[in-house]
Amino acid sequence: MKHPSEEHDLIRWIDGEMSETERTTFEERLKQDPVLATEARQMRALSTSLRAHLPAEMRVPHADYFNTQIEVRITQMALEETRAKQTTPGWSALLQWMRQPWFALTGAAALAVLGFFLVNPATGGASESMILSSYAPNTHVQARTYHDDGAEATVLMLDGLDAVPAERKVSGINIHRSAVEPELASTTMYDHQGTAVFMVSRDALGNPRITPRR
Amino acid sequence: MKAILSALSLVFCTSLACAQAPSPPDASSVKHATDGHVWGALIFATNDASQLTGGKEPVHDELPKLKERLAKVFPFKHFEILGQHRQDIFREYESWVVPSRDLFMKIDSKGPADKGGVNLHLQVWREQQVLVKSDALLRKDSPLFIGGPPWKEGRLIFVLFLERN
Repeated sequence: MKHPSEEHDLIRWIDGEMSETERTTFEERLKQDPVLATEARQMRALSTSLRAHLPAEMRVPHADYFNTQIEVRITQMALEETRAKQTTPGWSALLQWMRQPWFALTGAAALAVLGFFLVNPATGGASESMILSSYAPNTHVQARTYHDDGAEATVLMLDGLDAVPAERKVSGINIHRSAVEPELASTTMYDHQGTAVFMVSRDALGNPRITPRR
Repeated sequence: MKAILSALSLVFCTSLACAQAPSPPDASSVKHATDGHVWGALIFATNDASQLTGGKEPVHDELPKLKERLAKVFPFKHFEILGQHRQDIFREYESWVVPSRDLFMKIDSKGPADKGGVNLHLQVWREQQVLVKSDALLRKDSPLFIGGPPWKEGRLIFVLFLERN
């Protein structure tokens, strides 16, 4: 078994982080230790192969990618914690269930149903929109998602939102197309007559700013 | 004579400069790569017809019986389209769907999905406040209904529909 410092040296050697003196000393050690030399050769080959197959720079999928991933992970961890609390005391109950005489019959039926869906994977879901994850920053808001077969729609229900004041006039706009201006980090929106209606950009805090154009 | 020559050379140089430095293209005519095209609408749902705003926005041609479908999810009798927005989903830039300044959506494309449709990151905004962030797979003929905030004695609903990939 390698000493941790030995492993650390090996990694530094592969990554080219050693000084000239350190490198010469380490390579002398490799000559004297065939096991370490073999491992070093294998690790360097793996490292070279990985570098050759991975791009030097990876594109961020979208502007808010990192924030979203953190938020999704926090939600997942909370859910996992809740599930763990719910399932931990259930093992003994599950074992008792398995002792029941009807368990084998029910299990066989479940396997048959599962088999049917495996053989017919396109029976549902392939043409529906899906919500893969959702996160509401306001902790009083609950986001529920489901597919409504009757409505033939995927639903994202936001419960607990503050009401828009009744006296407020909520008015709509009819937008037909838009034009991005990357230099200005803005988008101009046009109506059906081709008239610029407003421009969407970001303020200093990154929040959207809608500026009328007429 | 010198003055005439100077004037002529000035005109010549100016015209040459104009020919060599074309004016930048109009932003509205520049085409950016897209991953699809969506229709977004803000809808007011209520049981009290007297609360309707009188909007006469037409329903999307490819969304038959939209109001009946909404009624299966939201327990209201009347559904009125307040505003609507047709929007390209830009591949490299954020896309905004703004059928109203009160409730609108930001879309970031995450690329086409394997079996049709497009993967999106969605954010629903209410003015300066983000209400929800979602990762979604939007497919054609399968609209997304988002139950938004209550208003008057009804509710505001955001509908997002993939018109084409």
